[in-house]
Amino acid sequence: MKAMAVRPLLLFFFFAQVRLSFSGELSSMESIPDLQESMYMVVDGYPCVRLLNLSGKIGCSNPGREKVVASIRRFRNANDLTQLTAVLVSLDELQDLLHRHFGLIGFSPTQKFPQAEFAPYPSINYEWNSMGSGIMLKAYDFPVFLLSESSTSMLQEVADKNEKVMNGYTTSVAEFDLVMQTTKAGTHDSESCLKEQTCLPLGGYSVWSSLPPINMSLSYQSKPIILLVASMDSASFFRDKSLGADSPISGLLSLLAAVDALSRVDGWNDLNKQLVFLVLTGEAWGYLGSRRFLHELDMQSDGVSGLNSSLIEMVSSAVNDALDALKRAQDSLKSENIEVLSSNSSNPGIPPSSLMAFLKKNSLTSGIVLEDFDTAFTNKFYHSHLDDMANINSSAVVAAASLIARSLYILASDNNDMHSSVLGAINVNTSLVEELMGCLLSCKPGLSCEMVKNYIAPANVCPSHYVGVVIGEPSFKPYLGYVDDVSRFVWNFLADRTSTPKENASSSCSKDCTNEDEVCIRAEINGKGVCVISTTRYVPAYSTRLMFESGIWNVLPPNSSDSMGSVDPVWTESNWNTIGLRVYTIQNGAYDHFILIGGITVTILAYFMIALARSLITKALKRD
Amino acid sequence: MTVAAGIGYALIALGPSLSLFVAVISKKPFLILTVLSSTLLWLISLIVLSGIWRAFLPLKSTTWWPFALLIISSVGFQEGLRVLFWKVYKRLEDTLDAFADRVGKPRLFLTDKMQIALAGGLGHGVAHAVFFCLSLLTPAFGPATFYVDRCPQMPFFLISAIIALAFVTIHTFSMVIAFNGYAEGNTTDQYFVPVVHLVAGMVVKSASA
Repeated sequence: MKAMAVRPLLLFFFFAQVRLSFSGELSSMESIPDLQESMYMVVDGYPCVRLLNLSGKIGCSNPGREKVVASIRRFRNANDLTQLTAVLVSLDELQDLLHRHFGLIGFSPTQKFPQAEFAPYPSINYEWNSMGSGIMLKAYDFPVFLLSESSTSMLQEVADKNEKVMNGYTTSVAEFDLVMQTTKAGTHDSESCLKEQTCLPLGGYSVWSSLPPINMSLSYQSKPIILLVASMDSASFFRDKSLGADSPISGLLSLLAAVDALSRVDGWNDLNKQLVFLVLTGEAWGYLGSRRFLHELDMQSDGVSGLNSSLIEMVSSAVNDALDALKRAQDSLKSENIEVLSSNSSNPGIPPSSLMAFLKKNSLTSGIVLEDFDTAFTNKFYHSHLDDMANINSSAVVAAASLIARSLYILASDNNDMHSSVLGAINVNTSLVEELMGCLLSCKPGLSCEMVKNYIAPANVCPSHYVGVVIGEPSFKPYLGYVDDVSRFVWNFLADRTSTPKENASSSCSKDCTNEDEVCIRAEINGKGVCVISTTRYVPAYSTRLMFESGIWNVLPPNSSDSMGSVDPVWTESNWNTIGLRVYTIQNGAYDHFILIGGITVTILAYFMIALARSLITKALKRD
Repeated sequence: MTVAAGIGYALIALGPSLSLFVAVISKKPFLILTVLSSTLLWLISLIVLSGIWRAFLPLKSTTWWPFALLIISSVGFQEGLRVLFWKVYKRLEDTLDAFADRVGKPRLFLTDKMQIALAGGLGHGVAHAVFFCLSLLTPAFGPATFYVDRCPQMPFFLISAIIALAFVTIHTFSMVIAFNGYAEGNTTDQYFVPVVHLVAGMVVKSASA
């Protein structure tokens, strides 16, 4: 159908809601800059940017070095287009289109089996994400923006006015500035763009924390480790609107709430096993967090000292123990209507999750994936900008967190006769979950909420869970300005909750603490930094195929010992100068020339009239 | 609207003054000086007026009379300045005539006097056009155009260029008529000029307010 055709070139806008009436106001102008501002309306929207991998590119970009200027039409009126047009498409219209062509309800722009190449089993055609259309993974040589609500109504008015006023010499146009450096430089895959430095690799900083804190002075760490893993990054067609409420932030919220509940339990040092909480980023783009974490564990790097990969449970009975623990936890929570079930045996294996990376590394790893679905995703908006707070239920998160907290305690204590009162004391704080939802999944209050501001000075108010790019050299003690807000918040939160109270008074700090066992939390808040005893570290998350050397990123050749590295697409994001969208009215070229000719005519006519008048006056005076 | 349209607007506002300058004024250096000094005088009058009115601006009033007061006071001040200009010119005329007598050259003709008045008026007109139209034209050289809701048929810049052209004409010929009126003592002519100036000012202000 014409809408998806390349010629004539179509430029899509998407908007989420259709109904808002906009009352215009005549602003009084007092200066030339005011005039300039009222002539050019800046539209606020979320762009879709150019990403590249080893074999090509995806996403959107301006086709050249220039801004794209096109007149605005609504999708339903855009039937026969002969010239460059900016098309205003509503979400309903887009979903209708997808339904008629792909038979999809709901909107997930990614594949039907996300990241199938990392699956530890061969059935890569299984449809975990039945709503997946895959449109996010195609390349588009035109700009696409998602409009906010206010911009939507403004642009609808403009498009309607364009329809009405078909006088042929003025029209309202949209000017798209989505010029990507990789398009300008002609580098169309990761390797060439990294070499030319026109792009940066995707990545961020994962956080791990242990409960109880590891005593670094002990040369031999012997307690077996139970690892609780959650992911904190999502993806979407529009870079800055990746909330990922159901996938994966609901998991992150459960982890944070479980840590909070477990932090109120005493006697961790007496238990037989050690808990380690790991919050990974970059999982949506090739399991960057988990692969890099496993790599660093093998390398025994500083950032993961205290963790010995052999201590992560490989015992074959571990899975059964875990299932028993979950059952016992479910029983202890009987009053709250929570149920744990094994997944359907028709499933080919575990669903797409970080455990896939662990299993591919070592197929003997014992692990369990806790999900809210059985045979396929129930999230209709997986990796979509629509996966927002309305898509999740806080009581489900609380239930999952309670289950996890109690099961972990049961597993760690490894003790069959445990008083139910001990378990009964492990309770998840419901208001904490709701507060975290408001902080991490909405713009009001967003990252300026009390809880977040207690720990960090956030750079943005509206949270976005896109992994972002790696700025500078990745390190275990990164410059905090290069670490994104959510990672810093999670680090501080986990460090605070897993810390053991100190006997002496806590010393204030602004960066690092003198004692190796201590970390400085709340360092960004002026005067509130304190040193606490905790083992909480950042681990960079970036592809195992990349190495940062003397200021440039190099793509390493595939290594036989790194099976995941050979299927890694090595995602990078193009650099750009500015991204913007503005709308203004233009005049036809003919009209401009008409005005110029008019001006010249007036001048020449005036000259002749003056010459004529002068000769008449001279004649009249001579007569006198 | 691109460079072409920008130049077009500038020419509409100031083209005729340019033609007048080239055809009449540039032939006599004295007239060039007259144009410059009357431009300067007009700008000074604007500065003084804005200095006086600064305390009361911006007028955020919905009633019409503060605006009317503004226009009446401005026009009155400028007309008063015109009378002053006339007086200075009279003295200058006497000086020039005395000088002409001394060196045996002819005295100022009527055409010369009218040309001086024309130059004076042109100075005022050019100052008005530059100040009120040309200064707005910078955005006109960009890609966008601008239509005001109150007049959706023509771009804003075209309207301001045409109004500037009208004012150039008014100022130029007002000076000639006024000087003629003062010289011959013709009261009709003397009152005609301020009235036209006032009416034009009121019309433009009421249209844009």
